[in-house]
Amino acid sequence: MIAPSSPMVRTGIQVATPLAVVVGIYLLFAGHNNPGGGFAAGLVFGAIVVLRSVADIQQPSRARELMAFGVLLVVIVAAAPLLWGDLVLDQAVVSTKVPLLGKVKSGSALPFDIGVTAIVVGLVMSLLDGLGQTGRGTDLDASDDRTEVAA
Amino acid sequence: MLPFFGRTSILWAMFSSSAFWVIGVAHVLGIAGAAMLGQRSIRRGLAVGALAPAVAALWAIGRLLQDDAANDPIVSELTWVSGLDLSLRFQLDALATMMTVLVSGIGAMVFVYAIGYFGPKAKGGGRFSASLLAFSTSMLGLVWADSVWTLFIFWELTSVTSFLLVGHKNTDGAVLAAARRALMITGGGGLALLAGLLVLARESGTTVLSDLGPVAGTPAVWAAVLILLGAATKSAQLPFHVWLPGAMAAPTPVSAYLHSATMVKAGVLLVAVVGSSFADVTTWKALGMAFGTASMIWGAVGALRHRDAKLILAWGTISQLGLLITLLSIGTGKAIFAGISLLFAHALFKAALFLVVGEIDIRTGTREIDELHGLARSMPITFGVAVLAGLSMAGVPPLLGFTAKEAAIEAVLGTSGWERWPALIGVIGGAVLTVAYTLRFLLTVFGSTPAPHADLRDDDAPAVADTRVAPRRLAMTVPAVILSGLGLLGYIFIGAVNSIVGPAATELNEKSSVYELIAWPGIKLAFVISMLVVASGAVLGVLASRHTQAAPQPLGADGADRFLDGTLRMARHITYRVQHGSLPVYVATMGATAALAASPFLFALEADHLVLWDTPIQAVLALGVIGAAIMGAFVNSRLGAALTLGAVGLGVSGLFVVHGAPDLVLTQLLVETIVVVGFVVGLGHLGQRFPRSSNIWRNVRLGVAALGGIAVMAALAAASANPSGQPPIADVTEAAVEIGGGNNVVNVVLTDVRGLDTLGEVVVLATVALGILALANARVSGPSDTSGGSAESNGVASDPKGVTT
Repeated sequence: MIAPSSPMVRTGIQVATPLAVVVGIYLLFAGHNNPGGGFAAGLVFGAIVVLRSVADIQQPSRARELMAFGVLLVVIVAAAPLLWGDLVLDQAVVSTKVPLLGKVKSGSALPFDIGVTAIVVGLVMSLLDGLGQTGRGTDLDASDDRTEVAA
Repeated sequence: MLPFFGRTSILWAMFSSSAFWVIGVAHVLGIAGAAMLGQRSIRRGLAVGALAPAVAALWAIGRLLQDDAANDPIVSELTWVSGLDLSLRFQLDALATMMTVLVSGIGAMVFVYAIGYFGPKAKGGGRFSASLLAFSTSMLGLVWADSVWTLFIFWELTSVTSFLLVGHKNTDGAVLAAARRALMITGGGGLALLAGLLVLARESGTTVLSDLGPVAGTPAVWAAVLILLGAATKSAQLPFHVWLPGAMAAPTPVSAYLHSATMVKAGVLLVAVVGSSFADVTTWKALGMAFGTASMIWGAVGALRHRDAKLILAWGTISQLGLLITLLSIGTGKAIFAGISLLFAHALFKAALFLVVGEIDIRTGTREIDELHGLARSMPITFGVAVLAGLSMAGVPPLLGFTAKEAAIEAVLGTSGWERWPALIGVIGGAVLTVAYTLRFLLTVFGSTPAPHADLRDDDAPAVADTRVAPRRLAMTVPAVILSGLGLLGYIFIGAVNSIVGPAATELNEKSSVYELIAWPGIKLAFVISMLVVASGAVLGVLASRHTQAAPQPLGADGADRFLDGTLRMARHITYRVQHGSLPVYVATMGATAALAASPFLFALEADHLVLWDTPIQAVLALGVIGAAIMGAFVNSRLGAALTLGAVGLGVSGLFVVHGAPDLVLTQLLVETIVVVGFVVGLGHLGQRFPRSSNIWRNVRLGVAALGGIAVMAALAAASANPSGQPPIADVTEAAVEIGGGNNVVNVVLTDVRGLDTLGEVVVLATVALGILALANARVSGPSDTSGGSAESNGVASDPKGVTT
């Protein structure tokens, strides 16, 4: 646990959160034509989850559910083309006109990427859990510190 | 451009053979329904479970009545990867239709029977009903399968679902051991089968079972041996039979279904279906007959020795399966016809007999023949069923088993060459013993004379009295009456049976079409043999029922269990040695392996291909990376090490920038960010400095790191100096826009071109994450925090609340 009481850190992270979310969403959608993609977006979301956890603003929960959602989504996207008699993971590209945004072209790669994002965020959350930083086991191994200090 | 009506779509397949798919879907829905309803009350679960098999059986009977089965087989195919012939392919021909009648018809009756067997208050109804229907579904898939892949998948599914069924009483160690033994033996056989099917498919050039051509040569011998191994394990042939008696630990409805009519028939069916390909392979016939005749005799001897009524039937099944395997591996038209007829008759009478034993077990509380007396008086209907089914098994007229056995003897007499005498001795010997154990079963269980064992007891009086029985349950009686009655009706209306088994046998061997079952053959050689068999068997049976001996020890079962336990012990031992839990040693091992694997490239390096740099910036960045890496190896504080690693990562992303790979840069930077935060979080729990280690160990690690770095670098340099053709970047860029609809090549490759890889990778990621969560939660329930250093060695945090989650 680093400096959870520091107002600088807390405020900074509070301010950064919406920005990071926007960047993550941008990366997710831009990935098809520009640098970005599901993995990068997941890492951005994951980073902000980690920071909020470290600063003790909000502890992540439901990592399992998030990953389950992600795996389900990618499997569905992968298997859906079979229903049409196409091969696994065949792309479907749709372009529609959306108000304000104009012509938007999107493919089945997008839900696939969303699934990847969910899995990556879930992975980061689990890592955090594994490192004992979810506010559940913070005073881990106080004895360990003592021995190290003594040594 | 109607995507739903493409020729290969599921929906098209559904329209083209709607009933076929409706039945498949009904089974799957039935599994879910049985699981949910059975949770509350086992009776409801079983009743729902019975629906789908009943519909399937009626539909199959309808097809038989209309002669659709033989003339108009339904073929349905669902392609996955066409280039590899990977598809789910089903064909419902005459043989498959006959098997559907058996599998689903007996299945529906077993469901009804189980309602009576379990009683309304039984626990685990949802699990049982769902597993039983799941098994029934897998078995249907197996008999419908028309490609080696489909066959194998459903073959293994029957192994797995039968494991669940045999181990239904999952609190009993002996039951679980028996279930595990069955799974290991049949599963191991499944692996042999897969190898055999692969060889067979390769040799005959098709994966479609109905198109398999004859094969020859050494590969064919291998395929024959491997496939027969698979069949012998599934059909409980000597010496793989040891799992079948153990599997009698299952509830009796399961035994009646799996171990008489269906699962054990899978091996028989396999021999029948692929047999024609091996017509010219002597090994096939010889090995099949060796399995068959040995099991025929040894199984019948076992049935004569055992004192548990259910075990008697189990050993009898081994014997009967041996007879079937023998006939089908002989493979002449006559033998195939006899085999299929016997398969049909056996399913009826053996299922009925198992149902009888289950009813006796429930109503008297025992299956030991020593404790059962005079049931003929107290359970007259059950007695009638047992006599009808038993005499059919023994091959006594006027029952279906008699004509089928006549056909078998005829077929064996009709063979010529070396197989004639072994087959004749096996079939006749097996038949005599069959009559004997059937009679012994009937006399000791239902007869009023006390079994000889009882005479040796001190208190004769209660033993001689008839066994007390509980009231009859209608749900148990009706299926048994129907099944045994069919044995009699089948004999009376022999033409109907012929119209079922005839086309089925012809499906396998065209020469079978000229044969038919004859109700009364007249005084011919086969009939004389048959009558001699019955007479001598009867004498033997009466003698055996008066003779006393202790139940034999299950020799083979112990061996199988010892083998399994030994394997597990060895695995534990190796795991204990290899997974010692020291993170530094793991990392050093991985580094050393990488260095070793990459070291051959040190000699493939050619100096004139190497350039120092494209732009001087690369040199600056590389120096930074190298410097940071070396510092990381020598720095003493943990935070310092984390920082140097971050510097390495940043330097590498700088190199990516120079090379114009923005996606890599982005990902690398994000990963670095997360890793740094992760380090900060993790370091909070650890000391500031690394613990001291001995100089030797430190030098070893340094050496491994240096060697690994140099070797991997050399490997990369050597690989990039010897490109195998032009990089396909132009094609990929074009394809990305055209197929993937995106301009970012990297992302299109990830989500489309190599999308399956990505799919696999993210599933791996999710699995790893679940593993981390499990470890994080498990640590609390472990031996707890007695040692302060354990958190450091396995990197897992304690989680006090995790116990409840």
